[in-house]
Amino acid sequence: MKKKCFLSLKLLIVITCFLSLFPIQAFSGDELNCVLCHKHRGLSRIDENGKFRLFYINQELFDSGPHRRNKCKDCHTDIDRIPHDPAKKVDCSQECHIVEPSGQRKFSHKSVAETLAKSVHGKLDENGLPKEHQQDYPDCKSCHDQPLYRPFSIYKGQKIPGIAERAMSRCKSCHTSGDFAKDFYEHVTTRLHKTRFPLETIKVCAKCHGDEELRERHNLDDVITSYKETYHAKLITLGSERPPDCIDCHIVEGENSHLIESKLTPSSSVHKNNVGNTCRTSECHEKASEQLAEFQTHVTYEREKYPLQFYMLVFFKALMAGVMYFFLVLIFLELMRRLFPKFTFFKEKKREDYHEYVQLIKDHDQDENQSKQ
Amino acid sequence: MSKKYAPIVKKDGQLYFYRFSAHQRLQHVVLFTSVLILALTGFPLRHAEEPWARPLYDFMGGTEVAPLLHRGAGTVLLGLFVYHTVYWMVLFYKNHLVKLRRQNNLTVKTFFKAILSLEMMPNKKDFYDIIHLWKYLLYFTNRPPRHDRMSWREKFDYFAPYWGIPILGPAGVALWWRDELSHYVPGIVLNAAYIMHTDEALLAVLFLFFVHWYNVHYAPEKFPAATVWLTGYLNEHDMIHEHYNEYIRVMIENGLEHEIKPQNFGGEEYEW
Repeated sequence: MKKKCFLSLKLLIVITCFLSLFPIQAFSGDELNCVLCHKHRGLSRIDENGKFRLFYINQELFDSGPHRRNKCKDCHTDIDRIPHDPAKKVDCSQECHIVEPSGQRKFSHKSVAETLAKSVHGKLDENGLPKEHQQDYPDCKSCHDQPLYRPFSIYKGQKIPGIAERAMSRCKSCHTSGDFAKDFYEHVTTRLHKTRFPLETIKVCAKCHGDEELRERHNLDDVITSYKETYHAKLITLGSERPPDCIDCHIVEGENSHLIESKLTPSSSVHKNNVGNTCRTSECHEKASEQLAEFQTHVTYEREKYPLQFYMLVFFKALMAGVMYFFLVLIFLELMRRLFPKFTFFKEKKREDYHEYVQLIKDHDQDENQSKQ
Repeated sequence: MSKKYAPIVKKDGQLYFYRFSAHQRLQHVVLFTSVLILALTGFPLRHAEEPWARPLYDFMGGTEVAPLLHRGAGTVLLGLFVYHTVYWMVLFYKNHLVKLRRQNNLTVKTFFKAILSLEMMPNKKDFYDIIHLWKYLLYFTNRPPRHDRMSWREKFDYFAPYWGIPILGPAGVALWWRDELSHYVPGIVLNAAYIMHTDEALLAVLFLFFVHWYNVHYAPEKFPAATVWLTGYLNEHDMIHEHYNEYIRVMIENGLEHEIKPQNFGGEEYEW
């Protein structure tokens, strides 16, 4: 039995290796044939911290992502043989072997990392000292999981999002070799509109700003909940892509999108001297005056911070409760009253004939008519 | 009151009592159509996070069309509000002021007296009717209240939009023309307008769908729907139940005094 098991295992390895010789579609940059192992869905282990790590690479996803022209080794520089030791975390700011066409330099995300360090999300304060709770500050991958190209069509008549083949054909007439035209088209068009659907952006920010413990550690308001109260967020939730998400307001127009600054920083888009113009960004509230920015976006309804909103809310809730409870109790009692229509604790002493009541009304009306005249 | 309409119509041996003219019924249709559109395009936005919001909003035209519908319906409702106000003012002028002037009796006192005598104006009797209703509901008496032509409930139903629209309307207009408005007032006015618009809307909708719809749809004797908003005439049973004083008066005026029936409630005749 044991022997049989061993035999079938051997057979499995042989078959696997044999099949691996003919990969269905290999990475262009897979020099070391990493996919040989990493294509298996179950490739995973529990790491030293007891965390489950999945090492499976979905080739289809990778091929539609922005890093598809990178070789594995461009990022995972410490791997030089197979099988390899546990690899180090990828440092996004290192140079990779892609040559940037405009400057003929090797490409690097270093400048982005520098911008991030300058922003409110940087790990060092203005004196160069590490801020408290280092582990809470985001690095590249906190926000950027493997993004996918979401190109849009700029060719007439095309409504389906994705590559307009007829537009691409114009590139292809010269750029015939390889995937260059497709890559360049996707690279450019992806950045012409929001790569992320606004809801995704909000989700990314909510990863940290929606975490109550983290907010307490850093003394932050619940900006996600208060943002979701605005019409901006509500329209986004209902499927519109036009209203602003977090980064639209919190980044100076034209500035690097990694430079989110505190509202106390004078160069911030939401600093009290600049926020007026931020709201008036073209295609937002163009016709508005700077006063529009006195609108309070992140209202928490705390009495000390937002007295107007707090007391208005209390007023309307009280009004609503008053009106609704009065009538709902009335309706309930009325339905109950129908169960025993004749019952009463106090019988009226005088049992008048209803004809007497008719006469009463008649007399009353006559009196009134006479007094009018 | 218009002379076009007979106060009592007899059909198939049943008496029907005149309540609303075609003009008034049409105003009601415009009112509830615009309010329903406003609610259907407003509430998915108010509760955007709820699972029903997206399908309903998409059904109402989605993020491009639904706001236009909402603003259109809002404009119609505000227009109706102004129209109706002019409408009752003209009626008031024709039916009261002209008469008073003809009698050479138009003073500040008679003017206000005339206003207070309008059938929709809350008065002392309404106050006593409410107290009597509570006495009746808590089994302290077995005689239901006897209302005049307009009961306090109908007056409340009537004044609900009359206080709701002045709150909802201007707030809605402010949120709509926010950019233009910001040249005159600071942005925090929009914070106030936002609360006014959403919370008053919730109250209005809750009141409509629970209280008003109870009065005209859910109540056992009305279910599934009252017809007075279509025909303008109320049947004798409901007339006795809801407007007993008015019932007696109209019967006397039309020479039907001998046919007056006793008050009844809950399907049982009230014991005199």
